[in-house]
Amino acid sequence: MNRRHLFQVLLGPGLAILISALLTAGILLAFGESPAILWEAFTSTFFNGFGLGYTLFYTTPLILTGLSVALCFHAGLFNIGAEGQLHFGAAAIIGIALLFPHLPPFVAIPLGMLSSIVAGGVWGWIAGFLKAKRGSHEVIVTILLNFIGITFVNYLILYPFKNTQVQNPETLAISKSYFVPPLSDISAFFGSELFRTTPVNCTLFLSVIFAVICHFFLFKTVQGYELRALGQNASAARFNGISLTRNTMIAFTLAGALAGLVGVNEVMGFQHKLIEGFSPQYGFTGIAVALMARNNPIGIVLAAFLFGAIHNGAREIEFLSERISKEISIVMEALLIILIAGHQFFIAKIIHFFKRGSRD
Amino acid sequence: MIDIFASALRLATPLIFAAMGGFLCERSGVATICLEAVLLTSAWTAASVTYFSHSPFLGTAAALWVGAMTMSIHSFLVTKTKADPIVSGVAVNLLALGVTPILTKLLFGSPTNTAALPLSERMSSELLLGLSFLLPFLLHFMVYKTGWGLRLLAAGDGPQALETSGVSPAKVRYGAMALGGAVVSLGGVYLSVAHASQFTREMAAGRGFIALAALIFGKWRPIPAFLTCLFFGLTDALQIHFQSSPLLGTTFPVQALQILPYLITLFVLVGFIGRAKPPLAIGKS
Repeated sequence: MNRRHLFQVLLGPGLAILISALLTAGILLAFGESPAILWEAFTSTFFNGFGLGYTLFYTTPLILTGLSVALCFHAGLFNIGAEGQLHFGAAAIIGIALLFPHLPPFVAIPLGMLSSIVAGGVWGWIAGFLKAKRGSHEVIVTILLNFIGITFVNYLILYPFKNTQVQNPETLAISKSYFVPPLSDISAFFGSELFRTTPVNCTLFLSVIFAVICHFFLFKTVQGYELRALGQNASAARFNGISLTRNTMIAFTLAGALAGLVGVNEVMGFQHKLIEGFSPQYGFTGIAVALMARNNPIGIVLAAFLFGAIHNGAREIEFLSERISKEISIVMEALLIILIAGHQFFIAKIIHFFKRGSRD
Repeated sequence: MIDIFASALRLATPLIFAAMGGFLCERSGVATICLEAVLLTSAWTAASVTYFSHSPFLGTAAALWVGAMTMSIHSFLVTKTKADPIVSGVAVNLLALGVTPILTKLLFGSPTNTAALPLSERMSSELLLGLSFLLPFLLHFMVYKTGWGLRLLAAGDGPQALETSGVSPAKVRYGAMALGGAVVSLGGVYLSVAHASQFTREMAAGRGFIALAALIFGKWRPIPAFLTCLFFGLTDALQIHFQSSPLLGTTFPVQALQILPYLITLFVLVGFIGRAKPPLAIGKS
């Protein structure tokens, strides 16, 4: 990738970030708040260990859901089912951990991860199967599967796995051998206090590793090539003997498996139990992440960090401001999606605006 | 028993409005997964404007306008900026999900709900309920029996043919989507100022998606979609009923009934119970 190409790739997202930040500052002004708190909030999400710890904690699931959406995008498919898939993954960990509480950590941790991969993968496969074998539109199918999956998981939380000792809708706690160590343990080992009392954990490394694996898979393997070929020109790919049915199911199964891993971060890394409504739309934010990164797995790590920072920064804004609530992050996300989805139009408008300006 | 049926009708009303609005939008050839967004913005507007103006009719009028505008953001993004309709729908849904609590907090101090309205300032639910029962038949007539309706259907099923005959599919879509947004808004009005007396955060609670499911179940036709909404209303009423009164002495997991609308729609969609085919231009755009 030469320098000019890199500039072109970064221009669109860069402009989108700039414009949405300006728009958000405008919203703050309109609400009678100083836009300076936007700056204050975002510096605190990057430049101190506590803020950064939370930002990285939110980055982890967004890398996974971003990869999940992007993998399907590469195959020309739209996975808006990550939300349901990640619920399934999280519930499977609880199920396995409650079933086998007395395993040693070196068995328990891989087993927990595997169960989330399998459960998410199965739920993703269903969408792929229905699309491939029955020709149903994957968007509508995944919307329906989201509701079915989330409702089913809520049932598991409220009935079979329920912790009856507490009022909250939450499951029993998993045993200690399933805990994924938090990053603060590692920094404490080196005598540092970095990330102390933040939930960021080793799942972050896992998700970055999966981003690298996805990159390798998509661009260096035959299977990845087949997926991309279908995404770029399905009829040409089929003419050359690439099976649409098989690859649709593979894409959705892998996407579901990636989304399922979100459960590792949430259950094994942080809460150590499952709470109803634990996901603040990670699956849908994954769409924004994938769009921003143009489905490039390495770009997704960066985009996920950006959206993690937005999510965390918005919590900070709510703390700093009396008038703005944390939902400002959802608005920023929506603005970013709109700007990126229609970027050709908006960039043309901007160029037009400047051209006219220079003529006057 | 009568209670359950009465509550089924009340629960079906917002679904009917949302499904009928969705019918206009989708048949004009734009995949519309943002019915939820329109329900939220219109419910918020109805509750807020009614609270400050003390007139539920002014609140309703404002909600219709805001709903039409919300849907117009979607049609603008899809037809003008060539954004993917699903991506645009997700963005508009997120926008409504974010904007409504922010504005609630700005005007009412808390992001969770707007101030409660006195009984005298609420919309009559009977009026809206009656309207929701007339609307499917009215739309059936408008879409299948008038020139405007045929242009709308053509925009959805054969935009090239429409273009050849000198009518711009984009214009037909803008009109249909704005009208569709206004129709969905009646559902939002019903939720916040007729059925309830205030707007609460995430008030639509997935009804936009259930309505979409009903539309698909009804194979993108108004009257079957209307009947499906009634059926979904009944499952919702039963679910609420079983929440409070245990069935045969055991607590019944209400989730089984909550899943039902989605599950049977899925069965239709995959062709186990007849086959549902979307308007042709959807998914191509």
